[in-house]
Amino acid sequence: MSGICRARLSEERKQWRKDHPFGFYAKPAKNADGSMNLLEWEVGIPGKTNTAWEGGLFKLTMIFPEDYPSKPPKCKFTPPLFHPNVYPSGTVCLSILDEEKSWKPAITIRQILLGIQDLLNDPNVLDPAQSDAYTMFKNDKLAYEKKIKQQARDNLPK
Amino acid sequence: MSSDYEISDNEGDYYDSDEMMEDYQNDDQDEDDMEMDDYNDDFRINTGPKRKSYEVDYTSLSQSSVEESLKEDVDHICGILGVDPAVAALLLRHQGWNKESLIEKYMETPTKVLVDSGAAVPEPAREPIVRAHSVDRSAAGPSSRRAIRSNSKLLSSLTLPTRSSAQKSISSPAASASKFRKDAKSSEEPESFVCPICFDDSPELKPVALDCGHSACSGCWNAYTISKIRDEGEHCIRCMTEGCAIVAPDDFVHNILVSDAAPPGSDTNENLVAWTRFQELLVRSFVSSNSKLKFCPYPGCTNTVSCPSATSKSVLTTMVPIVSCGAKGIPRSANDKKPAPSSPSGITSLYDKEHVFCFGCPIESDHRPVVCGVARLWLKKCEDDSETANWIKSNTKECSKCQSTIEKNGGCNHMTCKKCKYEFCWVCMGPWSEHGTAWYSCNRYDEKGGIEARDAQSRSRASLERYLHYYNRWANHEQSAKLSVELYAKTEKKMEDMQITSDLTWIEVQFMKKAVEEVEKCRMTLKWTYAMAYYLARGNEKDLFEDNQRDLEKAVEDLSELLESPIETENIPVLRQKVTDKTVYVQKRNEIVLEDTATGFLDGRWKWNVSVDGFEDPAEEVRID
Repeated sequence: MSGICRARLSEERKQWRKDHPFGFYAKPAKNADGSMNLLEWEVGIPGKTNTAWEGGLFKLTMIFPEDYPSKPPKCKFTPPLFHPNVYPSGTVCLSILDEEKSWKPAITIRQILLGIQDLLNDPNVLDPAQSDAYTMFKNDKLAYEKKIKQQARDNLPK
Repeated sequence: MSSDYEISDNEGDYYDSDEMMEDYQNDDQDEDDMEMDDYNDDFRINTGPKRKSYEVDYTSLSQSSVEESLKEDVDHICGILGVDPAVAALLLRHQGWNKESLIEKYMETPTKVLVDSGAAVPEPAREPIVRAHSVDRSAAGPSSRRAIRSNSKLLSSLTLPTRSSAQKSISSPAASASKFRKDAKSSEEPESFVCPICFDDSPELKPVALDCGHSACSGCWNAYTISKIRDEGEHCIRCMTEGCAIVAPDDFVHNILVSDAAPPGSDTNENLVAWTRFQELLVRSFVSSNSKLKFCPYPGCTNTVSCPSATSKSVLTTMVPIVSCGAKGIPRSANDKKPAPSSPSGITSLYDKEHVFCFGCPIESDHRPVVCGVARLWLKKCEDDSETANWIKSNTKECSKCQSTIEKNGGCNHMTCKKCKYEFCWVCMGPWSEHGTAWYSCNRYDEKGGIEARDAQSRSRASLERYLHYYNRWANHEQSAKLSVELYAKTEKKMEDMQITSDLTWIEVQFMKKAVEEVEKCRMTLKWTYAMAYYLARGNEKDLFEDNQRDLEKAVEDLSELLESPIETENIPVLRQKVTDKTVYVQKRNEIVLEDTATGFLDGRWKWNVSVDGFEDPAEEVRID
């Protein structure tokens, strides 16, 4: 499977360089010796315009298992994000990233990142992953909005 | 009564104890006349028509016979709905193998049922699926279209030439076997296929697709299928394309794993393991959705037991459906390859124990005579640390300053906390300094609060003692059973040596084996009688029950003692006589306990002191608290 994994990832990389959605970035991490580590990507997801997330660029690490694409990558916000569907560790809870739910091998990195961007301003209240953001989102929308805007300001692209 | 004692490793071959069942009622009389071969395991698959009241009818089925009845269901549905077997299998799996509900729903909305089960492509959703592809249009889009015209040499004899045939499957599912899609060689555009999963475009790639037409190379399908089966234990393998719910039919899985279509580079062994596992998963899903069937819970065992009389919850209050799949032992591989203990004549050990379990509850052993509800209650109580808490409550107090738990182990009431050095009075828990000159006698002893606290403590202590009474005996029987098996292992060795050095025959030194087996079995019964007695409401019935329990216990202890007597060549005949007699007696006492409790359940004779699922709640006054 490792063969498929690396071939697929380098093709994903090629496709991404050819064309990718505006404001995003995604690149494989570097190993200690400067070589490329295809199994770990550093990506950035911009908040959508006209939402409280606007202006922020949120950093995320994607960790691909050896049996990718049979198994989905693990997506983790670094540092952890204040969002109802992000675990305190930063891991994103999203159905397309769950092999027992909607993950399919045909889903591309581009689709994953667009999916996470959608999730930012459209949290799934049926599947909360952290209590702070979830409780605030449920009980005090105004304070939540404020906190999100602050978080966007804290994550301005450099 | 010497030479007719038989030993058989295959007990199924000799069973002639029907007379035994008639005999045991008038128990004590003529026990000495009982022949040794009258006593036997009470456990058998399909014993004669006459069955003891504490036994239940069941049949053991191998994986292949379950597969057979699974196939019958599929064929039945094929006949009624006029669909392909592969489609019928998908429909049934989706409906939890409920044929009636499937037929009813299918008659109402065939298209919906087909789509929901992943057997057909939903018509309106076709466009979005194609669009989903267009996200990486460069690769997936064209290739999926191309796949339909691909010139691959695929195995399937059944060809579904164009996409329209997939659509046709909605209108006439019978015509559409979900097979590999493959296309007649197309003259135009021999452009190479690019797999949308691995992005490989080598010309020898075999594009493969389900009815939906989303192709991927066979290598990716193989890896994906294996990972689904092996890592997730999933038998429902859906198309790899996002949002596509088409499920791979069995023959597709078979082809991709173990036929010529399996990708050349793939690990044949891994493929085979995955295919075997896949079949097992199918059988498991079939078994788990059928209340008449239960999978053998022993590790590595693939048998199923059918027990039609124990399917409803309500019967579990009147019977204990203990069954056995007939297999023995645990495969080495499932038991990290430990070598079997060296016991040539095979005393019951972990490795050759029969797969006995309860059909009605998750307990993986024989918990007769007590019914499932009560057995579970007891196990939960034993597991619960509520009893530990009870103990702590009865025996300790907390330092009122640092809250450390303190056990008073004698001495006077002047306590000094080891941890925080706080000095206090054990009786009133107040600081010692306030006791003034009344050293060693607490003048607040008789205050109301103090009395209440002491009452609460003694009530909790009494309930703990009651529980411990039963628990200790329960645990003791379990422990003793283990010890007697261990002891026997030693004795056996000695007897075999004797057989070599003296003129005793093999048969003549085997009498201990049956005795030990009987002791072990009876101790299991005894063990559970304590769980039962703990919950039985006080009264005449409980007294009778405890009488039977006492008789059995006495007999078992006597036999246990005999088993420990020293064995010398000269005393063997005497010992043998005694052990044999006692074994028969113990066997009868065990039958009485089991039979009496079983009849009691049927008659609704037993009343509990707590509320048990399925039984009437106890009257207030019999509750103990």
